[in-house]
This record gives sequence, structure tokens and C-alpha cells, in this order.
Amino acid sequence: MATQVVPDTRRNRKVGLIAGACALGMLGLGYASVPLYRLFCQVTGYGGTTQRADAKTAAGVKVAGKVITVRFDANVAREMPWDFKPMQVKQEVRIGERQIARYHARNLASQTVTGTAIFNVSPEQAGKYFNKIQCFCFTEQTLQPGQDVPMPVIYYVDPAILDDPAAKNIEEITLSYTFNETHESLAARRNAKPAKLVEKPLDPAQARR
Amino acid sequence: MSLADTARNAGKVIRALGVAGAMTFGTLTMGASSLAAAPAAPVAQAAAPTTADSAAPAPAAPAPAAASADAAAPAAPAADAGSYTPMAPTPGKGMPVDKGWTFQDQYSPVGEQGLWMHDVILMPIIVAISIFVLVLLLVVMARFNKRANPVASKTSHNTLIEVVWTLIPVLILVVIAVPSIRLLAQQYEPAPKGALTVKVTGYQWYWGYTYPDNGGFEVISNMLPDEEAVKRGEPGQLAVDNRMVVPAGEPIRIQTIGSDVIHAFAVPSLWFKLDAVPGRINEKMLFIKEPGVYYGQCSELCGARHGYMPIAIEALPRDKFEAWVKTQPGGTVGGAEQAAAAPAAPAA
Amino acid sequence: MASIPANEGFDAHDHAHDHDHDHKPGFFARWFMSTNHKDIGTLYLIFAIFAGIVGGAVSGMMRAELAQPGIQYLGYFAQILGTANPSFDQQLHLWNVLITAHGLIMVFFMVMPAIIGGFGNWFVPIMIGAPDMAFPRMNNVSFWLTFVGFLSLMISAFMPGGTGQGAGTGWTVYAPLSTSGSVGPAVDFAIFSLHLSGAGSILGAINFITTIFNMRAPGMTLHKMPLFVWSVLVTAFLLLLALPVLAAAITMLLTDRNFGTTFFDPAGGGDPVLYQHLFWFFGHPEVYIMILPGFGIISQIISTFSKKPVFGYLGMAYAMVAIGVVGFIVWAHHMYTTGLDVNTKMYFTAATMVIAVPTGIKIFSWIATMWGGSLEFKSPMVWAIGFIFLFTVGGVTGVVLANGGVDDNLHDTYYVVAHFHYVLSLGAVTSLFAGFYYWFPKMSGRMHSEFLSHLQFWIFFVGVNLIFFPMHFLGVQGMPRRYPDYAVAYTYWNEIASFGYVIMAASIGVFFINILYAFLAGKKAEANYWGEGATTLEWTLSSPPPFHQFETLPVIDDKAHAH
Repeated sequence: MATQVVPDTRRNRKVGLIAGACALGMLGLGYASVPLYRLFCQVTGYGGTTQRADAKTAAGVKVAGKVITVRFDANVAREMPWDFKPMQVKQEVRIGERQIARYHARNLASQTVTGTAIFNVSPEQAGKYFNKIQCFCFTEQTLQPGQDVPMPVIYYVDPAILDDPAAKNIEEITLSYTFNETHESLAARRNAKPAKLVEKPLDPAQARR
Repeated sequence: MSLADTARNAGKVIRALGVAGAMTFGTLTMGASSLAAAPAAPVAQAAAPTTADSAAPAPAAPAPAAASADAAAPAAPAADAGSYTPMAPTPGKGMPVDKGWTFQDQYSPVGEQGLWMHDVILMPIIVAISIFVLVLLLVVMARFNKRANPVASKTSHNTLIEVVWTLIPVLILVVIAVPSIRLLAQQYEPAPKGALTVKVTGYQWYWGYTYPDNGGFEVISNMLPDEEAVKRGEPGQLAVDNRMVVPAGEPIRIQTIGSDVIHAFAVPSLWFKLDAVPGRINEKMLFIKEPGVYYGQCSELCGARHGYMPIAIEALPRDKFEAWVKTQPGGTVGGAEQAAAAPAAPAA
Repeated sequence: MASIPANEGFDAHDHAHDHDHDHKPGFFARWFMSTNHKDIGTLYLIFAIFAGIVGGAVSGMMRAELAQPGIQYLGYFAQILGTANPSFDQQLHLWNVLITAHGLIMVFFMVMPAIIGGFGNWFVPIMIGAPDMAFPRMNNVSFWLTFVGFLSLMISAFMPGGTGQGAGTGWTVYAPLSTSGSVGPAVDFAIFSLHLSGAGSILGAINFITTIFNMRAPGMTLHKMPLFVWSVLVTAFLLLLALPVLAAAITMLLTDRNFGTTFFDPAGGGDPVLYQHLFWFFGHPEVYIMILPGFGIISQIISTFSKKPVFGYLGMAYAMVAIGVVGFIVWAHHMYTTGLDVNTKMYFTAATMVIAVPTGIKIFSWIATMWGGSLEFKSPMVWAIGFIFLFTVGGVTGVVLANGGVDDNLHDTYYVVAHFHYVLSLGAVTSLFAGFYYWFPKMSGRMHSEFLSHLQFWIFFVGVNLIFFPMHFLGVQGMPRRYPDYAVAYTYWNEIASFGYVIMAASIGVFFINILYAFLAGKKAEANYWGEGATTLEWTLSSPPPFHQFETLPVIDDKAHAH
């Protein structure tokens, strides 16, 4: 008979299971990080994530005296056959004041295309203070072939920005949108028989010239 | 670090002597050569610069040595006509130098601060630590080898010394951390109101530079083939067909975004690096102290031709910059708002 | 200790030489269905050496290409790998495949299997007086998962991957380059390879944790465990907590690629930067996973050849714990240029620099261990001293890179490449060679040639420094990473680096000659061939140890382990 350390199977299994549970927990945390990160960004404005406010809240915001410049930027995903541009390069707004800005989108394809806009602001520490009351980016946008629509956004800059040492020096905020075609829309277009697209050239410069 | 400076200067002189001749020749032939073959990447639109070239027949190419002096002086002509000739790069400025082993010379305040941080704070500390450890090892090997010290001591504790070698590194780190945090704060100063905005878009595999304040035109910038670059007197692998032209001596708002995958907009001599992430705009202030050509390269793996999408920034005095803007399609100076406000009908 | 059932009293008979009890199964059962920790350790080591040759060959291809500006050999390599008439883009894609393969192979299939799977399996049970690992069968599963993972990676190199064949995403597999940016199954196979080897490592981690907690011989308290065991324990926890996060991240990549999800796809509201956060939440602990067991090995060696107990044992053990803990909260220093806000960047700058403190404690404690000792410069010791210096150099450049403001210039340049190769290629790999020469006779029963080991050290030392030191210069001059081609100004240092590769490769040749020598002409190794300084339990066993060790309970000598 041996006198070695005989593995105590029960105890080993217990420790092994606890360790395994830790690993599974971390796995779950890995997946959970996606919604958690989104939530974190929405709450803290991290990564230049803008805030969403209802009209009532917005109406109650005191307008501060300081004027800030808001710039507008527009991008379209590479394969998406839309033309999408801001109708103003920038606006001067008083901090706290509600303001409307317009974008403009046109479907260059001969099929219906649906897209969603993602967005952020820069410098990113301004995200926490940039509030959108109404925006075309809140929902999917569908454009018929050749359709041409204005897309408004109503926003204000929270006066609290003036109290944040990391953000109070910001004099110009850029609001940037990127339109992406939804997977469904893309699949629908691909499945439709090879209809002719008003080909959007790969090179964006040529599209503009 | 004077040693580093000396070496850097020596390198510059040697290189300047060597390249000057080739350079002068190169710039003379440039007007003709910019019409030449399209680079490897898909687009071949070089419209703006080439027309400019033919309109204003190359004014005797400034010798590299004179380049900066010439540029610093208020450029007399050119202003309204809207003319532009690509500036000849100064050898060793804004580009890597042969056998270089120090940072590239810095041409932005952040760069100077960063270089100081590295050369004055970090470098001496890390060299000292490395040498200290090396010396300790050598001493130990000499004094406590088997022959010199046949009987080993059994000491395995000394609380005092353990506390000391915990606290001293902490102090050193504090010494590093203070200027480091200051440097960071400086790098995050936002660009002021009215600063020129350039939106840098990373594409597979070239760069686009959009000037929203100046009519919203986009400059597409592709790498020049090596032979072409050398012909123009520019460093191969770094030269591009259409540079990003900006004014020197004023803050510029650089915004980066990716159109397909992540790229990174990086210029070593300006201490500037910012990722271009799809669907997310990033912003940072850039201040270039003096006119010149500053080269950089994409610094985030972005696919096959990651190594072939260089960046070339040409900083010009304000008036020359404005002249360049006017050579661009739809390029405007000043009343930018009106120009762009009309919803740029889908370009035809 | 509760692990000793009460009915099994102490039996003073020495069973160690009782070879009748040493039942070894037949060849197939022994090596393919192995449940013996030593055999599995051997399998891991052989596998790691093989993977090291592949990964090293890949770096040879890279250094050949980088020896001169321009593209010289990529087309040729692409043809060898099966692309007839590769286009320019396909050649460039091959470059990306090479850097990806080099990174993945060296991290997941060379360093980790060797240092944890190989040395960990071999010596952790022995050092704590256990007969085997807690879950021997699971141990076998771990190995074969890693093996199949490697096959999957090899297969990926021959699959279409977008521009050319193979996965060209970098070992970091950043989205969207790895999702919408690379069509074709190559990236799927590469991701799957990470899944398999990751699963293997997680199982291995569970096994080590259980073994170390439950299977220690009586008297072997946690605070008496050899530092190598401590290092493996900390590493196992890092694996356990970090790898599942990678698994989650790359699984989401996989579904983004194949099933239309948009976790990291901006088109559906995902954020590619989140992938980077997840990857580096794993990736930073991963670098400690690679180096901590090396720390453990170096501690054993330094103590053995100084004939002194390790100086500041508790400080050493808890420094590793501290490194492990802090390693989880510094990840975003790999992402300084992605557009972090100023406060985040300041935090990660400060947190990262904190790691220098426990690392410093380790370096100084090793030197203090040698101080007052009676040093014998046997081959493992030479490698260990080399490790201390090289790791210091790699460590201090880490302090430079920790500064977010300085990293703005150095990020993704060759300076970073130099830094992490100094801590890994010159750090972890040097510790691997040190450990190999330390334990090879114990594992094989044959002495290697001391002369050849020393020779290899010096050639290797010169070679790797020639490869990697000039990369600091290239980095500060602005040469970006992951470039197959470069501006002419970078030629000089690249030439030197490529020349250094040839020297380094020669040293690997000496290594194999040494192994060959040991098996053909090496002296039989005694139980304790390093003499009085070697005090851990493996030195009480024969060389090689019996198939089943510690049939008699080992006596934990309190004097030898007094700290």
C-alpha cells in the first residue's frame, strides 16, 4: 500500500468546479461587456457618445451666455449608395439653447435602401453634454430609389459643460454621423436580380467631382 | 542630451551635403513628372496639382537649404491667382534620416515637449537603471563567485533594504509621472474657435483630406511609386501625389475617421498619431511651427497595402496655403459657410 | 492534511526503486492517451519546440524580406505556400499572414505550451510532493486541444483569407479588418485555433489551481512552496480569468463574420474599439502569463547556483501576485491612440507605471539572492543572469511606453516591437532555455554538454541583441510595425537586425546539437546533479524520476525551505 498523497477526488472536484465557474463567469462577463459598454458610453458620454433628452427636459434648460460652435460632419459607409451631407458646415449656438440643424440624404440606387446612422461628437469629452432632442439617427431611414430628403436634428449643449474642467475649454464641437446600410436592406438588394445600381464609385473623391 | 543632439546634427549635415545636389535636380524636373503614371492605388486623380503646375511654370526650384528661409518670408506673388507648386522637402526634416537612432526633429510644441520628456526625463532614468542593474550583476559575479566566496551566506531577509527598493522606484515613478501627466494635458488642448479643420479619412489604402471650412473639397492622396518619388527629390515610400496642405504657425483641428477598417494617421516629426476608426470621429489639435514637408505612415494594420499609404503634410505660410486652396475644385477662403451651405447637390 | 486519507499511515519503505511498480503503458496508450503529468509535460515540450521551429522559420522569412527595402522574397514564399503567380497584393497579404502566424504561434503554441504545459506539468506536482496532477485525464485533453488548435492555425494558412491565402489580421485580430475586412475561411480557422488552444489552457489552469491547492504534501504550506509553483499558481489564475474574455470576444468576431451579428460592426451600432478593450483585457494579462513562470524558473535557478535561499521569498511571491492583479487594470495602454479621453489616458499611464514597482522588487531580490552567495556559473545560471539583464532592458523601455504622451509617437512603431521582444523573446525565451538546461537532465536522465550550453548562450545573446536593439532606433525614427517595406533611411538598422537573426538561428542549431549530444553521448544524470544548492523536491528523485513518483510521502525538509 502506498503512502503517497492520494488525490481526494471530492475535494478536487469542488475546487475544479469553482475554478470552472470562475471561467464561465468571465466568459459571461465578456459577452455582457457589449451591452454594459454601450450603457457605460450612454451614461458617461465616453467615446463622444451623445445624450438623448426629451423636449420637456430641454425646455427647462437655462440658456447660458456663452456661444459655442457646432460643426457637422457626414459619412457614408463605403458600399452604401447614398449621398449624405450636412446643409450647414457649422452653427453658432448659445450654450443651453435649442437649435435645429439639417442634413440631406439622397438615394443614388435604383432600389430602396434602408440605413441607420451612428454618431459621435468630438472632442469626445463633449459627448456627455451634447443632447439630441430629435434626430433622424434615432430610427432607421428608408429612401426610395432616387429619393431626396432633408434630415433634421434638434439639439442643445448642456450648460454643465462650463463646469467640467476637462471640457470647458472646448470652443467647437463636431457632430459626426456615419450612415450604414442595414444587413436586411443589403441582403434584399443582393437577392433582387442584378438590378443596376447607380454605381457609387469606390473613390469618394470622384463622387464629389 | 547633448550627445544625441550632436549626433543628430552631424547626421543632418552629412545627409544634407549628400542629397542637396540630387534634390535640386529633382525639383527642377518636377513639373513634368507630376503628370506621370498613376500610383499603385486605385485612383488617379491628380487634377488640381497638375493644372497648377502647368499654369505656373516651375519657379526656379528653391534649393533645399534656402527652402525654409524662402518660405518664412512673406511670399509676395501668388496670393490671389491661386497657384501652387509642391514644396521641395528639406533633407532630414520631417522624415527619417539614414542610420538615425534618435527621434526625428520635432516641429510642433507637443513634439518638443514629448521629446524633452523622453530625452531629459525618461532616457537618463532608464539608462541609469539598466547600468545600475548591470553593474550590480557584474559586482555580484566578481565578488561572490565560487572561487572568491566559497561559503555562501544564508541571509534571506533584510526588511530595510526591501522597503528601500520598493520606495525608491515609487519615487522615481512619481518623478516621471508629473511631467508625463502635464504632457498629456497639453496634448489634449482642444483646437480654438475658427481653427482650420481638416478631416482625414483612411481608406484601403490611401488617405483623403477634406477641408469643410474651405468648400468641402477632398484631396485624395496616394503613394508615389519609388522611382517617381526619387525623380521628384522626395523620399521613396513616403512621398505622395497630393499632399495634405495646411498653414504653418496656427492651430489646426485634425479629425480622423476610417471608411472601411481602422487606420492610424501618424506623423513622427509632429508627435502626432490618431486612429481613424470607422463610424467614429476622433479629434486632436495639430500645430506646425514652421513651413515644411512632414512625412508619416499609416500606423494601424489595415490590410494588404498597409505599408503603402504614406502621409505627407505640407505646411505653408497662410497666404500660400490660401493660394493652394484656390487651386482646389470648389476651394474657397473666408466665406466658407455660404459656399458649403448650399446643399452640395450630389456632385456630377 | 486532509488529502491524506486517515487509513493510509506512514510507510517507511522506499518504493522509489521498486521498478516493478513502475508500470508503463504501451507506446500508443502512453503518448496518445497519457494521463501521466511527466509524459504530458514531455509532449508539451516536444510540441513547443516544433512550434518554435515553425514560428522561428516564419520570423526568418520576415527578417529576410526586411533585410533590404523593397519586396524581394514574398512572391517566392507565396509560391512555396501554394499561390501560383502571386499578385503584388497577394504578396503583401502574405506578409500580414506571416506576422499573424509568428505572433500566434510564438504566444499560444510555443511559449505557453513550453513554460506552463511543459515545465509546469513536469515540475509543479513534483515540487509540491504530489503524485500527479489533480485531473490527469483533463490534462491530456488540454494538450490535445492545444495540438488541434495548432493544426487549425496551420490549415488557416492555406485557406482563402481575402486578398490572399491565410489570415492576415495580426495576432490581435482587430475588427473590422478581421470581420468585414477579411472574407474567406482563413480567419475563421485562425479564430477557431484560438478557441481550441484557449479551451485547453483554461482546462490546464483549472488543473493547476486544483493541484496546487489540494495536492500538496503534508508540511508543504503555501508559504513554503517553491517560487516556480507560486508563479504557475498566479499564472493559472490569470489564464482562468483572462482567457474566457478572449473566448467571448473572438466568438463574437466569429458570429459577426458568419451570422450577421454586429457586436463590433459599426453598421449595426457596434463599436470596433470595444473589441480592442476586450482583446487587451485578455492581452495584457497574457503577457504576464508568458513571463511569470519564467520569473519562477529564474528564482529557482538563481537560488540553486548561489547556494542560498531566495532573498525576500514572501516579497517575491506577493510581487507576482501584485503583477497579476495590476495586470488586469492596465489594458488600455495598448490603445493610447484610439481616441481615449484625457482622464482615461492619465489613469492608464499611472496604473501602468505601477507595475514597475513589483517588477523592480523581483529584479533586486534576484540580485540580493546572489549577493553573498557562492556562485557557480553552470549553464542555467548563465542564462538566468542573462535573463535578468535583458529583462531589465525590456522593462525600462516599458516604462517609456507607459507614458501616454510619449506613446503618441512610439505606438505601433518598431520601438514597441523592440520592447516586447526584449521581455518575451529575450526574457521569456531566455528563461525557457535556462529552465531547459536546468531540468533537461532531470527529465531525460542524460547530461547535456555544459560547453555547448554556454556556447549557445553567448551566440544567442549576441544574436538577439543584434536583432532587437536596433529596433529601438528604428522605432524612434518612426518606422511603423507590420511593414514589409520601408523608406531607404531605415535600411542600415534593418540590415543589422537581419544579420542578427542569422546569428540567433545558429545558436538554435547549437541547441539541437546539444540535445543530440546528450542523448548520444551524455553522461547519465544523478538524482541531484547540481549539488547542494538544489533543494526542491525534484532533486530527491532519480533522473529521470520514476513513472509514478512519491509512492512514499516526501519529507518536507523544513531547513531547506526555511524562508
